[in-house]
Amino acid sequence: MTSYLEIRRFRDDQIIWVSRNHLQLNQLHDEIIQRVISVSVKQTEEKHGSLPCPFTFFMMGSAGRFEQSVWSDQDHGIIYQQQGTEINHYFLALGKEITQGLQLAGYDYCDGDVMASNPLWCKSLSEWRQQLANWSNNSNWEGIRHLLIFIDGRSLYGDESFLEKLKIEVYQTIHKENLFHKVLNNTLYLKKGIGVLGQLLLETHGPHTGSLNIKEKALFPYVNGIRLLAIKGNIYETSTLLRLEKLSELVLPSIKRELYKQQFLKLLNFRLSLSKPDNYENSHYLPISTLSKKQKEEVKEILKNGTALYRYVRNLIEKEDD
Amino acid sequence: MDTIFLMNSLWVMVAAVLVILMIGGFILLETGSTRMKNAGHIAGKTILTFGIGSIVFWAVGYGLIFGSGNALIGFSDFFYSGYDIEGLSLSGAVFFLFQLAFAGISLTIAFGGFAERAKLGAYLVFAVLFSVIVYPPIAHWIWGGGWLAEHGKQDFAGSTVVHLTGAMAAFAATLILKPRIGKYNKDGSANNLAGHNQVFTALSVLLLWVGWFGFNAGSTVSVDGAFFGFVAVNTNLAAGAGVIAAMIISWIVMGKADVPMMLNGALAGLVAITASCAFVDTWAAVLIGFIAGFLVFYSIRFFESKRIDDPIAALSVHGVAGIWGTLSTGFFATPELATVGQPGLFYGGGLHQLGVQALGVVSSGAFAFIVSFILLTIMKAVMNGLRVTEEEEIIGLDMSEHGSYGYPEMVKTEKAIISPDPKLNA
Repeated sequence: MTSYLEIRRFRDDQIIWVSRNHLQLNQLHDEIIQRVISVSVKQTEEKHGSLPCPFTFFMMGSAGRFEQSVWSDQDHGIIYQQQGTEINHYFLALGKEITQGLQLAGYDYCDGDVMASNPLWCKSLSEWRQQLANWSNNSNWEGIRHLLIFIDGRSLYGDESFLEKLKIEVYQTIHKENLFHKVLNNTLYLKKGIGVLGQLLLETHGPHTGSLNIKEKALFPYVNGIRLLAIKGNIYETSTLLRLEKLSELVLPSIKRELYKQQFLKLLNFRLSLSKPDNYENSHYLPISTLSKKQKEEVKEILKNGTALYRYVRNLIEKEDD
Repeated sequence: MDTIFLMNSLWVMVAAVLVILMIGGFILLETGSTRMKNAGHIAGKTILTFGIGSIVFWAVGYGLIFGSGNALIGFSDFFYSGYDIEGLSLSGAVFFLFQLAFAGISLTIAFGGFAERAKLGAYLVFAVLFSVIVYPPIAHWIWGGGWLAEHGKQDFAGSTVVHLTGAMAAFAATLILKPRIGKYNKDGSANNLAGHNQVFTALSVLLLWVGWFGFNAGSTVSVDGAFFGFVAVNTNLAAGAGVIAAMIISWIVMGKADVPMMLNGALAGLVAITASCAFVDTWAAVLIGFIAGFLVFYSIRFFESKRIDDPIAALSVHGVAGIWGTLSTGFFATPELATVGQPGLFYGGGLHQLGVQALGVVSSGAFAFIVSFILLTIMKAVMNGLRVTEEEEIIGLDMSEHGSYGYPEMVKTEKAIISPDPKLNA
């Protein structure tokens, strides 16, 4: 494939077949994104000459965690080996090219501008090292938020070792400076999904009236809670399911690991099979009235377990602080 | 001159001032609960229509309510000139002003149902018609010696006369005007056209809360026995219970303490206690306010689900809580306090007073609704529609009706928010 629109057609043809299968769907997303990058690299080389040095392109957010729905927005960055004004310009141009390419291929721009077209997320290895150190040293809310986004990074193109090295350093800093409490605070806000009467709290206004916001109310507690435990246990995987699998007994007992794994997988399947995945926004909402009684109970279980996991993580961190 | 006469006059004058200041509360309530592109219009038209209401009340309203006539309407004392009124132990002019203020509040409530989409002309014409044809008959029936007064109806300060009447006119208006652009989606789900300033709304509630001491406690129209203090206590308790109830129910059902809902709870408590404040014990005042806080929550959700767009919740706060407040004396009026009518169900009065209250609510509510609906339908035909054009609604009534924005610096950004269609933004 030599053009973004061709890739888009490929996507549209293929995605229907895998849209109900979490694993295959995310493999397809990876493939599409990798194809886009190949085209972008070629285009950039045509315009600005051949690549000046090795680099890696990595996805963050749901793509980084291998947890994309049918539609997804872009979150990504670039790490390149060497530094220099020319090189900076070159990779920023590549970042812009990829960002546009992904948009043409069906991935919305990221509202928060976490994209390789933004100099903040497109840097040389040494600049990245400096930036990550700044984020952890200042350890203000925004810095920690950026660190957490970075930690979900997964290489999709180029030399993976750049990202791996940086992540090891970030983990070391978090342990050394004991930033866990700050990390916890950064992701502590939990939108309530179940009311005091045990009812599901659904949207009361807007186009999603009667639906459950599963992104904020169900996915977030699992993703954020497990990410924190993964940092604690020095696990470099990015997918929530893999992180769960690798957690040690010390961090999370195996009974709970198994439970949360099942619940999270069920949640991903609910999202794929029941939300109306006609666009990015809709895939975050579960139309509850279409669910059977049993399914509703399952959703409630997922929410309850998410809250319980959150509480567990919180206690774990706060206990250590005392 | 005798001291009691002077003291009565002074107290009711203070109360009249408090009630007229409630117009300021309504300005903040209505602007705070709506979007900034309509803020100047809403503030300005509220003052304008109070002006119109005042003149009409002076010319004919007072005479239709308090003039001598029959059980249905009064018909004398037009163009009141300031004389003292026979049988009143306070200044006639003060009494007149106090009653004028009530008529002004009822009119202001009615206009809540017009918010954000009615033409300025519709306000002007309906201000006159409401003040002549809708409000005076009901006020006469209950307060002017009409058939409901003879019947023993308890409405101390106007849960029915002022609030329900205004709310029913608002109901007719909101049905005829139809929902605002963007309020409902194609599938029938409602969007939240959030008000632009919750601080205004909260301040409005405080202003109204304090103004209500004039409204209710002032309705003693005398300082005799300092009974106004008791009435004020009941009023305050009901407001407090209303805000707490609305907070609790919104937290239970929606999982969050919704600010506009809490504020509406306080107002619902105030509206409900308005009829009963002089007839019930303090514990009953707490209960009446508490139930009003619950009712307003479900009422707002009910009207919204029926595609009835009520921007400032006038139907729920003044209508539903007004009905509940009126009925509440049928349950809670005590033998000692029921100087009008009879004790309520819980004090051995049986169902008699409840029946009287229910009849009053139904007849007054139906009259206000039907007459308003007919008047507005005629106005719609004669005035070539009551609603501004779509374009005018989108640019806002500040600009379309008055030529300048209440927030000139801010409204450009808001335009971009409310109108995602680039053609309309161009």
